[in-house]
Formats: sequence, C-alpha cells, structure tokens
Amino acid sequence: MTTVLAWATLFICLTLTAIRIPSAVRGENRMMFVLFALISLDILLSIEGPYLLIDAWLGNFNLCNLLLRFMLYGTFLLMGIKVARAFGSPGGERAIGGPIGLAVLGATAVLTAFFFFSMDTSGSTVGLNDLDPGPALDIYAALGRFYPGYVAVCLIPGMWRSVRNPGPVLLRAASATLLLGLGLLIVSQVFPLIPLSNTWLRPLINYSAALAAALGLGGIWLSKTVARRTSRAVT
Amino acid sequence: MSLPSKAFQRWLHGIAPNTSTADVCRFSGVKRTTLAQQLVRGKVAESSLVSISRAFDMNPFDALAQFEAYAALRGTPVLPTDAELVSQVSTMDLLRAVVERSGPRDGIPPLVLEETPHPSSVRNWVDAIDDGELRHRVSAATGIAPQNFSAHLTANRLPPELALATSRAAGVGPAGGLVASGLVTEAEAGWPPGARRDALDRMTEGELALLSGERLQALGKALRRHEHELDHTNRIWENLG
Repeated sequence: MTTVLAWATLFICLTLTAIRIPSAVRGENRMMFVLFALISLDILLSIEGPYLLIDAWLGNFNLCNLLLRFMLYGTFLLMGIKVARAFGSPGGERAIGGPIGLAVLGATAVLTAFFFFSMDTSGSTVGLNDLDPGPALDIYAALGRFYPGYVAVCLIPGMWRSVRNPGPVLLRAASATLLLGLGLLIVSQVFPLIPLSNTWLRPLINYSAALAAALGLGGIWLSKTVARRTSRAVT
Repeated sequence: MSLPSKAFQRWLHGIAPNTSTADVCRFSGVKRTTLAQQLVRGKVAESSLVSISRAFDMNPFDALAQFEAYAALRGTPVLPTDAELVSQVSTMDLLRAVVERSGPRDGIPPLVLEETPHPSSVRNWVDAIDDGELRHRVSAATGIAPQNFSAHLTANRLPPELALATSRAAGVGPAGGLVASGLVTEAEAGWPPGARRDALDRMTEGELALLSGERLQALGKALRRHEHELDHTNRIWENLG
C-alpha cells in the first residue's frame, strides 16, 4: 500500500516535471522546473529500491539519507520563498528567506549532520528503519520533520487568506490542495506520539503531504493555462 | 423557495394543454434536463416559469401570482416609490443624466435609459428602501444570516422569495425586488412606461449629483476590489505558474 503510494507520488511528480520542460526551455519560471525536479528526486530517494542502489554507491552507511535530508531542506527553502512571494505574504517570505529563516535552516542543517555522524549508521536501510533506536536517531528524525513544518507554519496564514478570497475556482482548489499538504507537514510533527502499532500512518502522511503539495502546485499551473486559453478564446 | 411541481404542472396544463414538455422546452429555451430535474425534485425554479410564460405570451408576473407563495402579487398593483424607480437607473445613465442636466448641448442624443436590471440593481434597490433596520427585519423574518444577505447583494442577485420578503419588510410594493433581480421586466411588473425617467426628472439637480456621487464611489470601490483580486491571482500565477 505504502509502496504503491510512493511510486504513484513519484510518477505524478515526474509527470509534472516533464510538463514543465517546454516552459523551462523557453525560459519561463525555470525555478518551478527545478522545484518539481527536486521534489521528484526527494521522493525517489525515499523509496527502498533506488535508495539502496544509490546508498551502495555512496559507501553503504546511509549517507544517502543525509543527502535526502539536505535536499528536502533545499526543496522547502525554495518552495517556501516561491509560495510566500506568490501569495503576497512578505512576513512569510522574511520568516523563510530572511535572516531568521536562514538561521533556522543553518542550525537545523548543522544539527542534522552532527547527529548523523554521531551515530553508527553502517548498513544501508531506507528511512534508517533498521538502525538501533536511540535518542540521537529520534532527534535526527525530528530535525528532518522540523524544518518542513517550520516552512509550512510560515506559509499557512498567507495561503489561508487566499483560499478564502474570491478568485478562479480552479486556482482556489489548487491552493487548498497545497494548503492541505502543508497542513499534513505540521501534523507530521507529532509522529512520536503515534503508537507503534500504527506506524504505517507515518509514510501515509508523508507521501500524502508530498502528493498534495505537488498536485497543488501543478493545479496552480493548470489554472493559469486554463485561464489563458479561455481568455484567448474570448478575444 | 421554489414552485411545487404539482401546482406548476397544473398551471402548465392550463396554459398549454396539448403541448408536450419537450415542445414547451423548445419554445421557451429552458433546458429539458433542467426542467425534468426540477420537476422530479418537486421544486420548479421561478425563472423556468418566467421563461415558459413569456414563450406562451403570458405575463410572467401574473403567472407567478397564481402560485400560493406569490399571492402577494395579486390584486391592484402597488406603484413603486420614486426612490425604487431611480434605484433601477444604472449608474452610467445617472451620470449621463447629470451631464444632460448641466446644459443641453447640440449633437448629443437624448438619454434613453438602459433596460432593467443594471449591474448593481439589487444593492441599489435595497439601499433605496432601507430605513436602516431593513436587513435586520429581513433576517428576523426569513432566518437568513445577515452576511448571506449581503453576499446576495454583492453578487447582484436576489432569490425571488427573498425579494418578496424584503419588500414586505420594507413596506413597499412586492414587485421591486423581482424587477431589481431581473426576474421580470419593469413593464411585466406593471410599472408605468417612462416611470423611471419621470422619477429621475423629478429629482433636483443637487439630489441627482449627490446620488450619482454615491453610486460612483461604490462603483469605484467595487472596481478596485476586483482589480485587487486580479493582481493577487496574477501574482500567484507569475510565481508558481
């Protein structure tokens, strides 16, 4: 079930990336292409097969997981700045790309690397599932959830205003989907409280968040294309 | 509220006993599926009734009056107040009237008022009959939340039953809201021809200028709001599209 969801998410993200290629070639909003490519890569690295393959190249001590963390941080920094700017939320943009935001990111990244290298991480295992549990691993995992959650908190107020305001229906629906994805990221902060018998909820929430965010971003692009077509048809 | 299916079918049989539903739809331009759905649900929209009565050369206002819920429309028609009449003059026509009054000039054709309804006709009508407590009374009488009532005014629409309740609460004739929402024309509602123009001419220059100013102000605000929304949308598309 989770595997299907993961591959489906990857497939959708790759499709969305491919759709952006023509406009990226034309030089329109290349950042969105980079963003979709990054999301696809993030998903790819979180799936067992590709993870084990790439980690084997990197020396079989789960460096791939650290790489994934850093790529996720980059993805969220980029997405956070773009989305905050798009939804007219200068406060959110400052909180992510300003001094405070970059300090939060820097601290998270340094701490992530510190806790990673403080652990014995030998033996490739996706999501570090088979490593010996311990406080260092818990903190490492929490840090990985913290930064996306931080970005989500910065974005939600500005987006919420937008979803409630009048505008094209498709755009509002897409924004709401993106908002749902961000909301799930905040929900993921309470993962340690989920009882062990229900751990399947964690990947479900993670992939749903990624899927909702990707579909939301794709939907915004779609709403723009639809609006352009209709206005061209009218004139 | 809408019209009960049974009563509607009895009425339809009365005006077109030998016409099939398909033909009724063809003559009136009401979509067949739409009418079928409304009949099945037991709620026929007033607008369907209006289209059908027009197709059969019947006054839709009188047709509506045959239904129990619209009994208020029966009897001698109550003439609209001057404020109501002027509220149904479009903002652009008001401005043209200001220009026309300021001094007759050669080469400008005399002002002919646009047909009802105009783009802010519902809000202007409610404002024209509002004594300050009207919204409160409508909401008490019908149970509609004040913000929903406001939403109707902003969208320039007014469901017929709400239009009726509003005129009742304001103590004016029952037709005004139906004209303002565009369900029936002023002629169908029995407003004398030229009544709006006469009411406009009865206004003093000062009243006319003040009212036009208010309307222009409201129009400017609505346009600014719309532009603001467009900016917002374009900004999202520019960054994420």
